[in-house]
This record gives sequence, C-alpha cells and structure tokens, in this order.
Amino acid sequence: MLDDVALAVHLDRALLARGVVAGTRRARTFAEVLRVLPPRTAGEAYWRARVAMLPSVDDLDAFDAAFVDVFGALALRQAQDDGETARRESSAATTREGTLRRETLPPPPSERPAGEKLAEQAPTQWVVASSERRLAETAFEELDDDERAAILRLIARVRVAAEGRLSRRRRRHARGDRFDFRGTLRGAARTAGELVRRAATRRRERLRPVVFLLDVSGSMAPFARALIQYAHVTALARPAVRAFAFATQLTDLTPLLKRADDEHLMGALGAAVRDYGGGTRIGAALRAFNDRFGQRGIARGGTVVILSDGWERDDPALVAREMLRLRRLARRIVWVNPHKRHPAYEPLARGMAAALPYLDAFLSGHSLRTLEAVADAIEGRDA
Amino acid sequence: MTSKDGRNAEIVLLAEKRKQMAESVDVDDLRRRLLGAGYVADAGLATALACAVSLERAVLLEGDAGVGKTDAARALASVFGATLLRLQCYEGLDLAAAAYDWNYGKQLLAIRAAEAVHDRAPDLYADEFLIRRPLLAALGATQARRIVLLIDEIDRADDEFEAFLLEFLSDFAISIPERGTVAAVHPPIVVLTSNRTRDLHDALKRRCFYHWIGHPSVEREIEILRLHLPDVEPALARDVARAAAALRTRDLRKVPGIAESLDWAQTLQLLGAQRLGEDVFDTSLGSVLKYPEDIELVRASAAAIVSTVRADDAAPSP
Repeated sequence: MLDDVALAVHLDRALLARGVVAGTRRARTFAEVLRVLPPRTAGEAYWRARVAMLPSVDDLDAFDAAFVDVFGALALRQAQDDGETARRESSAATTREGTLRRETLPPPPSERPAGEKLAEQAPTQWVVASSERRLAETAFEELDDDERAAILRLIARVRVAAEGRLSRRRRRHARGDRFDFRGTLRGAARTAGELVRRAATRRRERLRPVVFLLDVSGSMAPFARALIQYAHVTALARPAVRAFAFATQLTDLTPLLKRADDEHLMGALGAAVRDYGGGTRIGAALRAFNDRFGQRGIARGGTVVILSDGWERDDPALVAREMLRLRRLARRIVWVNPHKRHPAYEPLARGMAAALPYLDAFLSGHSLRTLEAVADAIEGRDA
Repeated sequence: MTSKDGRNAEIVLLAEKRKQMAESVDVDDLRRRLLGAGYVADAGLATALACAVSLERAVLLEGDAGVGKTDAARALASVFGATLLRLQCYEGLDLAAAAYDWNYGKQLLAIRAAEAVHDRAPDLYADEFLIRRPLLAALGATQARRIVLLIDEIDRADDEFEAFLLEFLSDFAISIPERGTVAAVHPPIVVLTSNRTRDLHDALKRRCFYHWIGHPSVEREIEILRLHLPDVEPALARDVARAAAALRTRDLRKVPGIAESLDWAQTLQLLGAQRLGEDVFDTSLGSVLKYPEDIELVRASAAAIVSTVRADDAAPSP
C-alpha cells in the first residue's frame, strides 16, 4: 500500500505525462485530503483526486486518462456511476487536439533552410537591406522564400498597435480629477496633521484587446503567415493579444504567440492548424469564435482583425448573422483582404459581400507597407 | 509585531493551532445536509466543498451561468449556520471596496473635536474609524466555520485584485499599514465562483480546490425542481427537466441552466399547465431561452421536442 504522498506524486507525474501541469502544491493538497478525508471507495478517490488536482475543466479528458493510468479504470467507472460527471462540450479540448496531428501538412517555409542561411551570410543580408524599399511594396505571395524570410524579420519594425481605454481602476495623479481622501489624510500625517497637499486620483489606462482571426486556407496562407508574424510581434510588446486560425474549423493560436520565437512560430503554426490549406467556412468559424471566446469577453471592447478573401463555402447568411453578433461585441472590426489591392477589385465573393456592412475598415494588408495601415486601423486612426 | 519575521511567526502559529482544531467533514454527511438546506449537490461538488471546509482552503466553482454556483455558497452557509459575506467582483475592485477603508469624515471630525478642547490627538486608526469590507470582516469569526465568504464572479475582477487575493487565500491575513497584520483565528470558508469570461491565473487556482459544475442529469433536475417548487405537479416537473435536457443538446447561444428551468416550471404552473404541451411550450419559451435566435430555432422544432419529452411516458418514472 502506497502512502498518501507517494500516491499524490504518482498522479502528478501521470498528469504531467499527459501534458497537464498540476504542480507540487496541488499534489501536496491531494496528499492532505487523503489523510484528512480518506476515501472508502474508488469513486470517492476519484472525486478527491479531481477536486484537488484538476487545474481546469479543459484538462478533464487528460485527467481522466492519467487517473486511469494510476488507479485503473475501475475507479473512474465507479465515479461515473456515482452521479453525472460534470462534462462540458469539448470546447477548448478540440482546439488543442490539433497539436497532435502533423501529417497532411506541407512543411512551413520557415523550416526550409533558405531563410537561416540568409541570416548568416552577411553580404546577402546587405543586398536584402538595399532592396528593402521594393520588398515593402511587394505582395507577400509574390515573394520567394529568401525574401519572405527577410520580410518576416522586417515585420518586427511595423508599429505595434495599442489603443487604450480608461480603466475603472484609479491611481494617484498630481492633476487627478477625483479628490483622494485617503491620500490627503496620509499626507497630512507628515505635516503634523495640517492638510497641506491635496491628493487626487485619475483613472488608469488599459489596453484594449486585439484579436486576429486568420483564414489559413490555400490562397490566404502567405498573408496569414505575415499577419501571424505581426500578431506575434504585437503579443510580445503588449498584453491582451489573441490569435485564431480558421479554414474549416477554428484553432486557438494564442498559446503559441508568446512562446514561439520567429523560427519556430510557423512550424508550430503549421502543426496547430490541422486544416491548413483546406476550404473555408467563414460563417462557421465566426460562430465558433463568438460562442466560445467572443461572447465570454475576449472580443468585448476590442478590435477584431479578420483576414480572409471572403470565399464562403456555406451559406453567406450565416456570415452576416455572426458578423452582426461580433459587431455587438467588438469595438471595431477590421477586415483584411489582399485581393483588394487590385484596382478593379469588387467584393463579389458572397461571404465578403455579406460581411461588408459590418466593417469599420476594409484594407488590403498585402505588403509590409500596407501592414502599417492595418496597425492604424486597429487603433481607429484611419477613420 | 510590525517586523516581517514577527508577523510570519504569528501567522504560522495560528495555522498550527488551526490544524489541531480542524475536524474533518464527511462528504456524504455534507451532501445530506446540503439537501436539507434545499441544495442538491452531486458527489463531485460535495467532495469539493467537504475538502474546502475540512482543510480550510478555498474552493473555486466554475460553470455556465445559472448552474447554481452562488447558491452552493448560500446552502453551505446555511448548513453551518454561518454568516454569508458576499463580495461581487467587478473591474476596478480595489482594497478600499474589498478589504477595508478608513472613515475619513469621522477622522477629521475627531481631529477638530480634539483641537477644540485642546485634547491630545486621538488615535486615528482605532477600531471606530475602520470600515470593514467583506474580506476583512471575513477574518473576524469568533468560532470556526461561522463565516462563508463568497467571492462571486472573480473573472470580472482584474489581475491586480487576483494578485491581492493570493496573499489573502494562503495566509487568511490582511496587512493594514497603520495597524499591522490582521490574521484570522478561525479562517472563513471561502467560495470563489467564475463564469470563465477569462482564464484565471494558475497561481490563484493552485490555492483552491476546483470543481466544474455541469448541467444536471434529468433525475437530478427533477429532484431540484421538486425541492424548490413543491407545488408543481410531479408530471410537469418531469416534463420540464426532460425538455431542458433536450434543449441542452441543441445548438443554442445560451443553453438553459437550472435557474431557467426553475423559471420555466413556475411559468408553466402560472399558465395552469398540467403537462408540457405544444401550446404552452410555445408561449412559455421566453422564460427559458434568452436569445431571439434561439427561440426561433427551437420554435421550429417544438413538436419534435414535445413529442420526445412525452414519448417515454409509458416508461415508469423515477
């Protein structure tokens, strides 16, 4: 018979093996629970383990698997008979399982060696630098691999978009707009009780969230690459940046944004987006975003940047409906459609036409130069 | 006492003392007592609450809106005959609103009064000037398990407040610069709830027991309906629970929670319905679905839902 601590440590290890980071603090808590409330049945053991060790309902499937690894299937079955297991539709679960599948994907260009060589060979880099101006005007899809690698580095120089709003939280400010009773009195303690200095507070500024929704289907892929790079750069510089990819379904890329460096970002992106290069279901993707993330608060009061050519496979009415919903949640919607760069462009794609009435800005964003305009639009400077 | 080491030693001592006094709460027993208080808890929730009470650690309840997170805290308070202190979170919630504040007006008056009679300066940080907000008030229990602190919708507060809670939840102490540290002799039972409008920091979650409250099974929902609305016909309660379960399988903006099915059952009763028929189903939908798109969608398949609800009438009911 194992003792409480050993059991807890075993479960912690099993969770870790399944990709769930519970941590020693939780393991210690679990050991304590086992001591104070020793379980009599396997089902009881399951629930004690779960309330102490499960970090989030998103990890439930992995937790159940790890629990079976340690205690066997019997306990899990007993727990499930013991009442409903609080299951949730696999909202976050589906967004993560994508990372497991790699096969069907074309190798992302960043994994090809060309770009790295470029960085190492000083003369080549110099050549690129001299042609920067031309590169900045070229559409992302017309670049060759070397140029593309160079341009991805240049994206780091595009201005980081950050728009503030007044927070409900206040801080001391010499010319604040609200009298600070507490601060004034505390200050008076220093001047023998005389109220010499008037303290005041002012509302703090908070950055509005920015959400990138990137169409990664076939023709959009080069542009999605550029925008995810921009999202990455932005996320490193400021908080509240999120990114999602979609083609036939929605994938949350946010965890990659901060962690991955330039070189690994695209590799990881390729692995995360299962349907990279598939068809497009914009309406369904927007709906998934609104249901799972937007309505919960991620899009509220922020800017949503959508990259897509607007070719909808399904019913464009769904696109219109979900855009309306998004319109009610977000402060600003910016649509980036690289086809718009052609002078004769007209929004004939049905999805695009359906979305058009709900947009605050409609941009091409096809080159480095036009990305600057996207940054402006995120902050509402174009209007 | 004001030195950092001294403070820690005091807290450690208190924690030691508490550990000796702590008496564990049996899970099944708690579940029965919650039922007595009008709350139907499943095994998971009862375990989470029993662990929280026994080990004097906070419990974090997550779940969709209307599944009974707040009510769980209420029921827990009534089980222990404890006072419920509720702190509703919102963006910008700060210490002055959550923990304590000073009564500045009163302080000023005291100074003026002392001046008028040429008295010595009064102690401006005495108890009479301290305004105790929920967090500080929760530390003042004179007996164990006499205060339940409900920190409601923690996801609505901002990061700064979450960071402050870290100290509070691990030490059950608040430091007031003018007074030193106030530590609880008997820590409160702390229940946090979240609707997951954003992810909480893991540092906070690590300090809590965690339970996700899902939607109830049909049997449990019938039990809840009967418990809360004893006047409702058993057959109607059964219909409502089955229909609510059916609605939860649909692709809706907002699936009904228990709060909605309670409303629904009550509405149907007011409409004089004995069973859930197609006519009342249609007129009462507004009490259970909160989006026009959802109502439209469900209305189109009303007949199908009503017939599935009534289909297993032949089967013996639980």
